[in-house]
Amino acid sequence: MPSGALLFQSILLGLLLGGLYALLASGLTLYFGIMRVVMIAHSAFLILAAYLAWYLHDSAGIDPLLSMIVTVPLFFGAGVGLQRLLLTRLRPATLTMMSVLLTFAVALLIEGLLGYAFTGTQRRINLGYGSASIELFGARIAVVKLIAFGLAAVALTTLYLLMKRTRFGWALRATIQHRDAARLLGIDTEKVAGYGFGIGLATAAIGGTALSLDTTIYPSLHWHWIGPLMAIIVVGGLGSVPGAAIAAMVLGMAQSLLQIPMGTTWAQTVFYVALFATLAFRPQGFFGGRLAQRF
Amino acid sequence: MPTTSFRARISRNALAATLILTLGACSSGDGDAAGGNADDPIVIGVSLPLTGDFSEPGKGVQQGYEAWQKIINEKGGLLGRQVELKILDDQSNADRVVADYEQLIGKDEVDLLFGPFSTRLVVPSARVAEEYDMLFVEPAGAAKEVFEQGFKNLFYAAPAVANDHYNHLAEKILAMPADQRPKTAAYAAMDDPFAQGTAYGLKDKLEAGGIKTVVNEVYPPNTTDFSGIAAKIADSKADVLVGGSQYQDGVNLIVALQQLRYQPKLAAFSTAPTNPEFASAIGNKTAGVLSPTGYSQDAQYPSNKEFVEKYTAQFGKAPEEDQANGYTTGQVVAAAVTAVGCAEQGECQKKLVDWVRANTVETVVGPLSWDETGKPKGAHMIQQWVGGDIKIVLPEDVKEAEFLYPKPAW
Amino acid sequence: MLNASRYLKIGAVVLLAVAILAFPSLAPNPYILSAGVLVLNYAVLSTSWNFVGGFTGYISLGHGALAGLGAYGTGLLVAKGGLPPFLALFAGAALVAALAVPIGFAALRVRGASFVIVSIALVLILLLVFQSSASVTGGSRGLVVPRPFDLTRPEHHRVFYYLFAGLLAVALLAWWLIDRSRFGLGLKSIREDEDKAEALGTATFSYKLIVFVVSAGFTALAGGLYALWFGDLDPVFQFSILTGSYLVLMALLGGVRQLFGPVAGAIIVGTALEYFKVEYGDTPLHLVATGLLLGLVVLFMPDGILPAIGDLLKRFDRTQKSSIREVTAAELREQRRGEQDDPNRTAMTEAGR
Repeated sequence: MPSGALLFQSILLGLLLGGLYALLASGLTLYFGIMRVVMIAHSAFLILAAYLAWYLHDSAGIDPLLSMIVTVPLFFGAGVGLQRLLLTRLRPATLTMMSVLLTFAVALLIEGLLGYAFTGTQRRINLGYGSASIELFGARIAVVKLIAFGLAAVALTTLYLLMKRTRFGWALRATIQHRDAARLLGIDTEKVAGYGFGIGLATAAIGGTALSLDTTIYPSLHWHWIGPLMAIIVVGGLGSVPGAAIAAMVLGMAQSLLQIPMGTTWAQTVFYVALFATLAFRPQGFFGGRLAQRF
Repeated sequence: MPTTSFRARISRNALAATLILTLGACSSGDGDAAGGNADDPIVIGVSLPLTGDFSEPGKGVQQGYEAWQKIINEKGGLLGRQVELKILDDQSNADRVVADYEQLIGKDEVDLLFGPFSTRLVVPSARVAEEYDMLFVEPAGAAKEVFEQGFKNLFYAAPAVANDHYNHLAEKILAMPADQRPKTAAYAAMDDPFAQGTAYGLKDKLEAGGIKTVVNEVYPPNTTDFSGIAAKIADSKADVLVGGSQYQDGVNLIVALQQLRYQPKLAAFSTAPTNPEFASAIGNKTAGVLSPTGYSQDAQYPSNKEFVEKYTAQFGKAPEEDQANGYTTGQVVAAAVTAVGCAEQGECQKKLVDWVRANTVETVVGPLSWDETGKPKGAHMIQQWVGGDIKIVLPEDVKEAEFLYPKPAW
Repeated sequence: MLNASRYLKIGAVVLLAVAILAFPSLAPNPYILSAGVLVLNYAVLSTSWNFVGGFTGYISLGHGALAGLGAYGTGLLVAKGGLPPFLALFAGAALVAALAVPIGFAALRVRGASFVIVSIALVLILLLVFQSSASVTGGSRGLVVPRPFDLTRPEHHRVFYYLFAGLLAVALLAWWLIDRSRFGLGLKSIREDEDKAEALGTATFSYKLIVFVVSAGFTALAGGLYALWFGDLDPVFQFSILTGSYLVLMALLGGVRQLFGPVAGAIIVGTALEYFKVEYGDTPLHLVATGLLLGLVVLFMPDGILPAIGDLLKRFDRTQKSSIREVTAAELREQRRGEQDDPNRTAMTEAGR
């Protein structure tokens, strides 16, 4: 039986991990909601952002957090470009399938170019505060993990406010709910969809920065992330941002806790078990609406 | 079908070496046609993971091979023939490594083979060598499984297999008086035959000596977040911490443990602490970390002085263990070729194998000899980080510093 | 009229068969022969993939995992179960086909996106399972599969080359038969418009499941044969997402609606992979090349090169004007953009062809 202290520590770690998962999964959900696109390259962009943060820190000594000034607008632009220039070229009838392959190709491209530029060596940012931690009721939380969680929380809140409180958010949600009706109301759905994609990719920039603070990065790392993220968005219900966030927290916590009895490798399978169980018993996901059923 | 595309890719350095070689041959001006093979270079085929998961150590071994080639050619080559390396990249992939050796033996008709890096790649490639009856000396397949396949042509060119790396440390710990001896131990090993081999070799010996295992974790090679494992280890408050690590995973685990303020009395990690980047990667909190090593730059073996000096001149830095293993492989093969007096495919290979099995070879890691399965009969030295530098502490007869136990806080 | 193109087709098929069968005698050394075995292995795998991808339009990125299962199934039955190699091969494939039923059940209940996600998840979860169950599978230590024949290595390659060629012939025959059957027609109606196919009374779910199981069976046979040929299995290489993506690339590049599309794609991509390895071995540029090629095919040539070549030939063959050509629902929709047409006609055109 694990001690209470270990349980508490694991719960905290699960919470911190779940926060990061939630941010990343929300981006994936956004793409799917807007265009029915499963964006395999999302985690490749995540790693790209982490590499940019590492590179700026390594070559110019810039704090990873400051790198977001560059990466967030850059990724927003890349997202708009990706949607407007590439995805709209695909035939609507086969869009979902072909977009998977297209974004898969983008992921391979990013992985290959990262490997070409920085070699396959694992990289890690050496921060002065890398091993610093604070104590909370007997458990220890690494400062870098706390910063990463803070970033995720701020980004998610901003996303939520943007969707709920701004005209653009209304237009975006209208586009997600019913594209044709939105167009009839005078919304330029093409433009909105492009910006929506940009926002999705901007979350990858923030997530990548958060990631680079505390873990090692290497070009093929994105495969390690895309699996759990995919599982999260299916379990949460394709297209539902709150669903993805809740599923992310639950599964992140489950992974962290299951590590105690089962070890690292088996604990990772929780995502896929949840995925298969969801599809077998509740294909529309636990928090998704009608949308998920058809895709 | 892929007939045109299989042009040989010679690494840039090998190409340069060939160029120099050809120029040299021209200027010496012996024009009589190369009727016998005496004027042709001896071509040695190698496949190494220059990209992918094992690319870092793979490149280290490559430098060792290249240093050996340069040094031996400066001395007039082998059997009076210059030596040429043909290095292919296997992308850290088992399919590729087999295809590479297939290409080297079948298409390029190389005269000799050197082994690749990593246990995962050594076993499949050794099978190719075995089935074409080639001598296969390898620098990096240290896990005991390599020697359980019944290979007859394989030899590991290093002092000891993974499971024996910590033998000196185990002896030292078990020789402590009962009241000082550690009581509990935590093990975390990467799911990799080599890394697990080192950790479990020590685990078996410590368990037999009555030291209780309180944590035993295995993590996949792609793990980047070690906070969960670290939490378990810190919670167990184990006296001894043993990490079966490559490089980055060891660093990550140590940082995660330091975040939790865990202070073991003894901490041993394979491979990672000997890396030149190690200290800065963990913020210089290296105090007392132990690591086994098969190689020391300061070792007094005659060939080692030459190696360190010329390697440093060639690459601008001193050689590490991977480089030394590559160089050792070259030395073993060179000794066999010189003694037997031939270097080509066919009958000659059998003679080379028989010679290596029966003899002891002087190398940069000391004298090496092998048992029936190709396993070396030696042990590794133990190094410890003391005051910002890593020094040999065990065994007693070669130590550079005193073994510190319990280790200072990190 | 039609005969000219038919003779051309038959001629091309005979030429391909002769080229494949003659290759071992022409191969200058065992290495080229072993590369030939690898290309044929890819050809069988992508043809097997095309049972699902070509007929139903469901794109699976997880077929690498099914091949890995076949390899490990066969390997374990030989190494641990003591079965004769070729009995183990078929038993392994049968096991994988049986396992494909629940996998298909979960994956095929949902459309498009979720199916792809499940197929990727399949690779990742099997990698974890096979790595972790080291006591059974050998884990990262690998599994050694004993050689089925006591042959020299070049002879070993030659035998397996012909075995793979035989398996390829069987897989192609099966695809051809399904293509011409009512069952095949039902499958293709799923590809064009699943809702309408269902509305017209096609048992879409069982159709999809059956063809998925057939595909899994062939994939597992190819994987098992690979295990017997190669001899060393390692989870990292058996359960790799890249394998699955290569298969998709090969089939798409060749043309998923063509019998020989995946074979053509396998020859092109397989050769290109070798080329990249030989020319640019020490950089990860093969990934970049794969990514670029996949992206270009998806964007500009989603029907593959065989149809493109066919169109080119037709341009010269003026006699053949009103051919009955397969038209996708998307193409039809584009043709009639603006017209307010009876929406059921798409499905009817397809089904009544």
